[in-house]
Amino acid sequence: MFAVETLNLSKRYGKTDALRGLNFTVNEGEIMVILGPNGSGKTTLLMILCTILKPSSGTAKVVGIDVVEEGTKVREVMGIAFQEARGFWRHKPSSILKFHASMFDIDPAKRQDLIERTMKDLELWESRDKMFMHLSGGQAKRLETAKVLIQQPKLAIFDEPTSQVDLRGKRKIWDKIRELRDQGSTVIVATNEVREAEYLADRVTILHQGQRVVCDTIPKLKDAIAGGDIVEVDFEDPVSGKLVKDLNGLGGDVSLSSEGNQLRAKVSRAEDWVPKMTSASYVAGAKIASIRITEPSLDDVFLHFTGKALAGQP
Amino acid sequence: MNRVLTLAAYNVRILLSERTWFILAWALFGLQIAVYGSLMSKLVSTTVPNYLFFYGVGLMVITVFDSGADVGRHFVEHAHEGELPYFLSLPVSRGGFLAAQAIYGVANTMIKVLPPLIGVLWFVGDLTIQGAVFALISMFLLGLGITGIMVSMSFIAFKSVDIYSAFLAGLSALIVRFSTVFYPLIFMPSFYSPISVFSPLTYGADLTRWVLGFDPNFLLNPILAAAVVTGVAVGTLSLSARIVDKVIEGVKAA
Repeated sequence: MFAVETLNLSKRYGKTDALRGLNFTVNEGEIMVILGPNGSGKTTLLMILCTILKPSSGTAKVVGIDVVEEGTKVREVMGIAFQEARGFWRHKPSSILKFHASMFDIDPAKRQDLIERTMKDLELWESRDKMFMHLSGGQAKRLETAKVLIQQPKLAIFDEPTSQVDLRGKRKIWDKIRELRDQGSTVIVATNEVREAEYLADRVTILHQGQRVVCDTIPKLKDAIAGGDIVEVDFEDPVSGKLVKDLNGLGGDVSLSSEGNQLRAKVSRAEDWVPKMTSASYVAGAKIASIRITEPSLDDVFLHFTGKALAGQP
Repeated sequence: MNRVLTLAAYNVRILLSERTWFILAWALFGLQIAVYGSLMSKLVSTTVPNYLFFYGVGLMVITVFDSGADVGRHFVEHAHEGELPYFLSLPVSRGGFLAAQAIYGVANTMIKVLPPLIGVLWFVGDLTIQGAVFALISMFLLGLGITGIMVSMSFIAFKSVDIYSAFLAGLSALIVRFSTVFYPLIFMPSFYSPISVFSPLTYGADLTRWVLGFDPNFLLNPILAAAVVTGVAVGTLSLSARIVDKVIEGVKAA
């Protein structure tokens, strides 16, 4: 059974299609990162999964429970940290967390300890008696994350969990999200931050214009790009035409260019191509001075699959 | 049920933290009765005996109306301050969520109305536990009906808060002004009285006056009034439950 499964899921706002027949699955116990620019349908998908929005058509299930038919049961097993921190403006973080804990039946005997520990972990303890409206944007986001952490739900959803959070805070939140996964929760993180995706993801789903473009692990997504890995080889002598011809004859999807002593190759899997290249160079008597391999970024992956750059999307 | 009560208790705690508003509301009520009510009473005492009492009950009914409208505004504020999606993500049914709002509304109404009720009954020398309890039940039912109307209408606010505010202002003007809160139905001109029978406040006010022992010649049939007040409460709450469940969504996002 999947932790999350959607089938032909669509959501329409007036004349705008936010989701268009989305088929999407998340395995139990993994961190699935949904990557996409603003307006790609990430938040709409999450809102449907946590029963706040209703799909226009199609189905969505959370741990096998239909989000439309049995919304209350779904809400019992999931927790969400919203993109915009939702607070009770005149309440203190500690009382907000106490209320949240009581709504999710967290053992009253353990409640206080859990809240204190989580607030300290997320560096909120010093602000426990401030009113919500006096928290900084980053603190409010951390409080949003804290709600889900104290809850330890079967399905934890984080919508852009580290926007407005400083670099140190980001790392803390990411580590806590991983910890949550290690404790058995299934986690969905929606983001348009490539670093966040690379740090957290067991698998990545790329959404574009309300549709799933691709879903896989990050290494496989990068490998799926023809010419995705770039190998730069410096030889001790100028690269000969014969060597280029020999290397072209190694097979696989490869694009070579050379200038002086340097050879530049775009290959699908550098780890497969480099050993063959070094053997062929040895046979050809070309001595290698150095090899540099660079991987494509998730930006490149996104560009490859959607034809558009992730950064700078409206 | 436990979660519904937890949610309601949280809302009520917010309510209780706003003590100043209650004190101001009670003070305003006292001032209105002492000045305007007394003067009006002297002016019309020849045709309506004990008009001050009539007026006092009318003012309490308006307080009930305002209180019910408060619940609608509270609900809309939740949506626009971004709290509604959070509430909708909590593990309570939509009906339970509405029940928690209703409990909040009842608490709000009772806090605002109980001291004025006791004050008015004491002032007119008619303070009995039985009268106070039945008057509270009558106003409680009316309050539920008003809450139901306001929450049912709140979906308008999801399109536009301005339209909702304008609609509420218009609705308040119609429901309050065209009701019998300040004037007995039998004294209303013929072009005016047919409209009064469409206001739930007409029935709520007359029913409350009847249970408090006001002269029935100036009031509607109490059985009809009780039936309408109960019907409005049940009908509008059912409608609002359906709207909360089927129509209202917490946030629109892409």
